[in-house]
Amino acid sequence: MIAPRYVPFVLRHVVRYRLRSLLTIGGIAMAMFLFVGVRALQQGVREATVSTGSENTLVVYRENRYCPFSSKLPQDYARRIAQIPGVEQVVPVQIMVGNCRASLDVITFRGIPREQLEQAALRGVTLTAGSVADWQRRTDSALIGHRVAKRRGLSVGDRLEIAGVTIAVAGIFKSPKPQDQEAAFVHLPFLQRSSGLGLGTVTQFNVSVQDPTQLDAVAAQIDEAFAAAQEPTSTWNEKAFAARAVADIVELAGFASWLGWGALAAVFALVINAIILSVQDRIRDHAILQTLGYRGELIARLIIAESAILAVAGGLVGIGAAAGTLHWGKFAMSVEGLSVQANIASETVGLGLATCLVLGIVAGLFPAWQAGRREIAGCFRAV
Amino acid sequence: MKYLPFDYAIRNLWRAPLRMAIAITGCALVVVILMAATSFVQGMRRTLSGGAGSDNVILLGAGSEESLERSQISSAVSAHAKTIPGLRERLGELFVSPEVHMAMILSRPGAREELRGVVRGVVPQALLVHPRVQLTAGRFPQAGQDELMVGALVDAKLGVAAADLAIGKALMMDDREWTIVGQFNAPTAVMDAEIWTSLTDLQVATQRDTLSCVIITLDGAELADIEAWAATRLDLELSALSESEYYAALQRFYAPVRAMIWATAALMSLAGIFGGFNTLYAAFAARTRELGTLQCLGFSRRAIFVSLTQESVMTATIGALSGIGIAYVLLDGQAVRFSMGVFELRLDEVVVSVGLCAGLLLGVLGAVPPALRCLRLPISSALRSS
Repeated sequence: MIAPRYVPFVLRHVVRYRLRSLLTIGGIAMAMFLFVGVRALQQGVREATVSTGSENTLVVYRENRYCPFSSKLPQDYARRIAQIPGVEQVVPVQIMVGNCRASLDVITFRGIPREQLEQAALRGVTLTAGSVADWQRRTDSALIGHRVAKRRGLSVGDRLEIAGVTIAVAGIFKSPKPQDQEAAFVHLPFLQRSSGLGLGTVTQFNVSVQDPTQLDAVAAQIDEAFAAAQEPTSTWNEKAFAARAVADIVELAGFASWLGWGALAAVFALVINAIILSVQDRIRDHAILQTLGYRGELIARLIIAESAILAVAGGLVGIGAAAGTLHWGKFAMSVEGLSVQANIASETVGLGLATCLVLGIVAGLFPAWQAGRREIAGCFRAV
Repeated sequence: MKYLPFDYAIRNLWRAPLRMAIAITGCALVVVILMAATSFVQGMRRTLSGGAGSDNVILLGAGSEESLERSQISSAVSAHAKTIPGLRERLGELFVSPEVHMAMILSRPGAREELRGVVRGVVPQALLVHPRVQLTAGRFPQAGQDELMVGALVDAKLGVAAADLAIGKALMMDDREWTIVGQFNAPTAVMDAEIWTSLTDLQVATQRDTLSCVIITLDGAELADIEAWAATRLDLELSALSESEYYAALQRFYAPVRAMIWATAALMSLAGIFGGFNTLYAAFAARTRELGTLQCLGFSRRAIFVSLTQESVMTATIGALSGIGIAYVLLDGQAVRFSMGVFELRLDEVVVSVGLCAGLLLGVLGAVPPALRCLRLPISSALRSS
């Protein structure tokens, strides 16, 4: 757009009007912070709900229920599900949360049979503190996600009470699965007793299927097997189940996206305002540049470059601040025992910066056009 | 002290129409966002203040104080509760309401789309303990008939047209068809987004023999009496909470969501203030010589400062009023579905005041630093400036 030798000249202008540049960059940074935050929430929703086609897990839930408080299935369904062709493993799971409603900082207790912990919950999981042996030793112990541990300041040996259930932290883990990071894995019988549900009843079954392409067929067979049972089932693949559960958050994310676009509109208004003001204040400078031989078109390009630099600088600050806040804050929104974590994907960073660049250029077009077509005499007269 | 005439400030507004238009737009944007945030938080607060000031006490399962949907208590609690002395009574009917609260999946007959609703199984005494519930059409559901009555915001909660919930229409629940026989409203209460049915019908349909809670209304008795009674009935594993305490806990549960909304509004406001500063720094700086001239003519710095602030406040007021108008069109009356409930956005006096005050504050805050910066210059320097 402009030759490299003009870059220091443009930067000098940015620095010369320090206060104005800082205010513009600050305003853009705020709006980009918001834009990136909204995109991060949408990314979290995508990660939690969009199937990659390689998943092999089904969730068997009570038919016509969506809250873990009301899904109650006999634990002995596990035996019958295991006999269905194509089923690799069945894990009865008890889910317990203080409240089914959506909010931040919600911990989900997942009761899992002691003998199935390693295959069912710890695949691909890294223990960062404590040990599975410690978990096996005590019936009230829990392995908790590192995000929960960090947010609540918990370490191995600490005790935690949620909704009348008190657990002892036996280990802290990191998991690539978004759902695990807000969870606490506890012993199934302990959770059944302490939650008052009683032994023999669980919230859901997590079923691993040998062939991922057979997920739907196996799901249909499971539901058919219990269609006439006292507690009929509804079976979903894991991502579709999450998508169904976090519908409220999806709606919120959709609403928030309007906010994100509103923030972008604010960025545009801010940049265009700042550039118009700076062009108006520098009419004399432009007249001198024209006297020195700068053509109108070059002046226009310098103005556009300045606008783009301001916008990208603000974008960098805003994106950096959002990335830092989300990294250190470990924000996640949970509903009905499932979590959506705000995650900044690399494409969000790219999109944010590209948007700033485009907005910066577009915002500079009008003032650049105005400045580029002024006559020297007119510029001097305007001073 | 001699002040500058007010119309001097008004005339100055139109000197740079584009600059003024941008300032007004920025201010309006901030006001709309602040009003949206305030009405969201207000709507949530209003809906969850359902029990404020009531004499109701909720008897629910010990350990389930955070959520009625999780609570399970014996059906016998209702009969036991009627023996507590000091409960309100009317025409021999005690204010004791056994209830089941369940989050259920519903559907329209013949449609496969899942609708998520909150269903409350009740007996007619529920109308005694929840006086805000008013039947607006039809009648109360009768036991054994698979009948429903729906709150005024249920259509928003389920995401269906109001016509789908007219009296005589049906909804499917647990593979059974339930007929809508009544409509009610419960302004500013969670019940407004609920579906009510007969307690026993819901228990039969969901194969449940427990209750979620028993709600009682106190007359002579006090909360401490009920707590003492619940503590002595270890066999029932009960906890007694005043209704206001329960909803206050629910409000605390949503505190992080509210904080997130306020943080968003604060960020947008800050961006707006930065934009405002930028505009006014440039606008006032371009008039430094004019301000110096005014001082030569005998106007004090304070008088000029007041005039500059008047200009800024007037611009901000136009922006704020535009913002209020836009917010009224876009937000007022909107039903927001949020996590097992619905609340209405209302542009009441608090929300409008917040918008207006925010606009005025933007005007004042935006003017003070740039005006002080310009007026700090000695008259001779001001007159020399270009």
